[in-house]
Amino acid sequence: MTIDAKKLAAERAARMKDAIALKEPDRVPFTGMGGDVVASYAGLTSYEFNFDYEKQSQAVLKYVKDFPSDRPAMGMTGLGNHVASLAFLEYPDIFPIISRVDGPTNDILGVNYCRFPGRELGENSSPQFIGSTYMEAEEYDALIADPVKFCYETVLPRMVTAFKDLKSPTAHAAMTRLALEKAKASAAMRDLFVQLQELGYGPGGQSIFFAPLDFIGDQLRDIPNLVKDLRRYPDKAKAAAEAVLEPLLKVSANAQGPGVDTAMIPLHLNEYLSPTLYNEFYWPTLREGILRLAELGMKSQVFFEGRHDPHMETILDLPVGWGTAYMEKTDVRKAKKMLQGHTCIMGGIDVGMVIAGTPAKLDEYIKEILGEMMPGGGFILSPNIGNLPRETPIENIRAVYEAVERYGKY
Amino acid sequence: MRKELLKNFVDMNEVEAVSIAKALVETDGGPVAVLETCKEAMEEVGRLFEAGEYFLSELIAAGDIFNQIMAFTLPKLQQGDVSSIGTMVLGTVQGDVHNIGKDIFKVMAEASGIHVIDIGIDVPHEKFVEAIKEHQPDIVGMCCLITLGVDSMKQTVEVIKEAGLRDGIKIIIGGGRVSEAVMEHVGADAWADDAARGVRLSKELLA
Amino acid sequence: MTVKDPQSLAEEREARFFGAMELKATDRVPFTGLGGDIVAAYGGISNAEYTFDYDLQRQATVKYLRDFPSDLPASGGAGIGNIFLSLAFLDFPDLSTSIAFTTGPYNDVLGVKFCRFPGRELPDNSSMQYLGGAYMEPKEYDELIADPVKFSYEKIVPRTSTNLENLSSPTALATMARLGIEMAKHRASSRALGKELAALGYPSVVRGLGWAPLDYIGDQLRDIPNLVLDLRRHPDKVKAAVEALMEPLLKMSLMYKDVGAKYIFIPLHLNEYLSPKLYNEFFWPTLKEIILKLFEAGLKSQVFFEGWQDPHLETILELPAGWGVAYFEKTDVRKAKKLLQGHTCIMGGIDVSDIISSTPAKLDQYVKELFAEMMPGGGFIFSPNIGYLPRETPIENVRAVYEAVEKYGKY
Repeated sequence: MTIDAKKLAAERAARMKDAIALKEPDRVPFTGMGGDVVASYAGLTSYEFNFDYEKQSQAVLKYVKDFPSDRPAMGMTGLGNHVASLAFLEYPDIFPIISRVDGPTNDILGVNYCRFPGRELGENSSPQFIGSTYMEAEEYDALIADPVKFCYETVLPRMVTAFKDLKSPTAHAAMTRLALEKAKASAAMRDLFVQLQELGYGPGGQSIFFAPLDFIGDQLRDIPNLVKDLRRYPDKAKAAAEAVLEPLLKVSANAQGPGVDTAMIPLHLNEYLSPTLYNEFYWPTLREGILRLAELGMKSQVFFEGRHDPHMETILDLPVGWGTAYMEKTDVRKAKKMLQGHTCIMGGIDVGMVIAGTPAKLDEYIKEILGEMMPGGGFILSPNIGNLPRETPIENIRAVYEAVERYGKY
Repeated sequence: MRKELLKNFVDMNEVEAVSIAKALVETDGGPVAVLETCKEAMEEVGRLFEAGEYFLSELIAAGDIFNQIMAFTLPKLQQGDVSSIGTMVLGTVQGDVHNIGKDIFKVMAEASGIHVIDIGIDVPHEKFVEAIKEHQPDIVGMCCLITLGVDSMKQTVEVIKEAGLRDGIKIIIGGGRVSEAVMEHVGADAWADDAARGVRLSKELLA
Repeated sequence: MTVKDPQSLAEEREARFFGAMELKATDRVPFTGLGGDIVAAYGGISNAEYTFDYDLQRQATVKYLRDFPSDLPASGGAGIGNIFLSLAFLDFPDLSTSIAFTTGPYNDVLGVKFCRFPGRELPDNSSMQYLGGAYMEPKEYDELIADPVKFSYEKIVPRTSTNLENLSSPTALATMARLGIEMAKHRASSRALGKELAALGYPSVVRGLGWAPLDYIGDQLRDIPNLVLDLRRHPDKVKAAVEALMEPLLKMSLMYKDVGAKYIFIPLHLNEYLSPKLYNEFFWPTLKEIILKLFEAGLKSQVFFEGWQDPHLETILELPAGWGVAYFEKTDVRKAKKLLQGHTCIMGGIDVSDIISSTPAKLDQYVKELFAEMMPGGGFIFSPNIGYLPRETPIENVRAVYEAVEKYGKY
């Protein structure tokens, strides 16, 4: 790593850190805008990007070189396998192997909720997660009694084709193959990080946590069932959320690499629930999780999917400087009014606008949003959702990056 | 009983609503009364949703109550009892395999009297064209959840145009990632990022 | 001596080795080199370091092979044969061949009950060791006969690998993932070694593995003392079992063809335990069949006849000429040559004990005389009678052997 690259990496890291600490950095930190466009910008199909490590790294480097930001903008390459992370909780050394499914590992495992380009999907589609029911309502007691055992013995066989029969040679061979494939992937990833370092990007990994009720809704019961469960079996649902909290925190600890001081928490059910349900079933264990992550030395970055407006005030239940509220559809300006000096706010760029707008409109938009959001610090500029589609006009992307340089200085 | 049904339905008292409907459907003129009350209830749920009092979980629960009641009500209805305000071809566009948003919308749209032809998920552009030719809908609904869907919807609209079918129909797009800007980009007539708004706008387009 | 580029040197060495296998005399007697624990000792590392540290192992191997050049790269031993595991995963060819040997690091993951490694159960400078044991009861013959692969996977693997004791447990699945992690490291190290050896002019010769069905029962399932009793108590079961095992074991060997193997190494064990009568009834028929099938598939066999093969020597003539290599431990290669010349390539020729205890001058003289008798007509590969030179082997003796090969080995 050259001295200049080191300096640049330090500057970028400080920018993010300052914003999280509710301070004004030298310039507004900008996460960059990645996604499927990273593949198309390099002339790759999404299939190639998802299945060829070498090409994937080249595409990321090309994109990041042309569009520098404070965090490297990556493409869409995989989906979390949270049930497996929980099932193998006691085996932290294999966490990196089972916690994430990408194209090649899904070829080995056959994860029922995963769809990949060039496999089940067209070659230029995005990897997708398809919710499904992997647990019956009658099984709440088993889940509550021992979430880890339940995920391992009951859910994994239903969810992962290769684990249909856990004691079979197929399941066993899949684990070995998985490790061998991940070794290839991580070798490629190491090479990529070395090259990213030369471009002024530090290590910067994130741990992950799930709101306990989201884990149940997204991974086990499927959302339509879960929302009915909240009415039909409220006590069970509540007890289940409480029961999975500790194991999920342990997953976060397993996912916390050396030097990692933030955890991403993507929410899903938040916009499905009324304040009554949110405050009763969702928020208490999520809040507890955020507080406990802080004890592990991690500030949370919560992605509030959809409109979080009805639940905004609950964020004030958290201590000042707890972390970052990443807003999708909630107006960041409105959020700032309420949370300034308490919570770092992230977001601000509507992906729909980047796809459908013009450079001039985007320039104007960034100017305005930064004009409102920058004062007082504690703001990270980011697209409201992490995936720019392949067809996003490059001139629009460029306009955003240029506008950040133009209007982002404090 | 109709009043009781309406109240329990709207209040999400699933067990009560279903048992009242079961009793009501057996009375003279009951099936039509149940159908109309349930439609009314769904409309009210949609209104409460748009007013910010109800949330997605209530829409899902209401859809489930509606489906439960319809399962024993529809077979009892005579031809002509069910009136339709229009026909919609509905699908998640090519490249996107999500169905939750589409399914929530679908039941609400049906409850509002729209005859919905669901052509599924990851629907190729040409399949929309074929479905339009076959079913002669008044309106076409396209859904997407992921950002990829934005351009897929645009391409679908273009293919519909090329087939010379665009003028006779209205197009509404829906899903988590759509907006006014996306609607213009796609060339649709309306957009909605929630099911209640989607049903309301669909009805407006059909008026 | 002209300096050759590594590639032509490798080609020359490979041609020498395979020429002898084809019963020909080439430019010089092919020499497999003298490997074993001496490789670690010469590299200045303990056997434990050699076994568990891939980098140190590679450095030691390269140093030894640079200083003691031979036609095939001699090494310090790959691990301990674990046919149970290989057979259990027979339907997974990408894995089966990679787990046929339990290395030190693999054993840390698996906890194989019949393996002992330096720096773990054994002192740092001990050799890795295989411990026999009975992992199958006599009443289980029927189960073995019905489905040897299933039996190996469901019954024997859990009994022999501590961490696979309960196959449906998360520990077992995690163990398989950990095995994959180690395998990836091992493969990466092997690739790196391969590159360095190529630069030293060593050919990359992949050798597959094969097993005599009765040895699989004797060495790995029943333990030899039990098996020899079974031969008398349950002869029909044993015979049915060796027959049932033939197909899967053959399939196992044939899989090596897909990973580039040019010949199959079949180490025998029970051969010297058995009378010609028992040998011909229980041991030889299925072994012979496997060798013939491999030969038909284009793979020669290199059979290591442990101990004295003398009573069974003539059975080798039942194989077609050019079938492969007879590698002798205690059987006199000169005697073997008289019988097998023009039919079977002979390998061996020097007793490891002599290398340890003799002097350079005596060794020089020995090699000279041996070559004079063994070289004429070709079809001879010079090799120590067993693959392992201990750490304490005098290095001047080792050097004397290598020098004698150069001095007396030219045709």
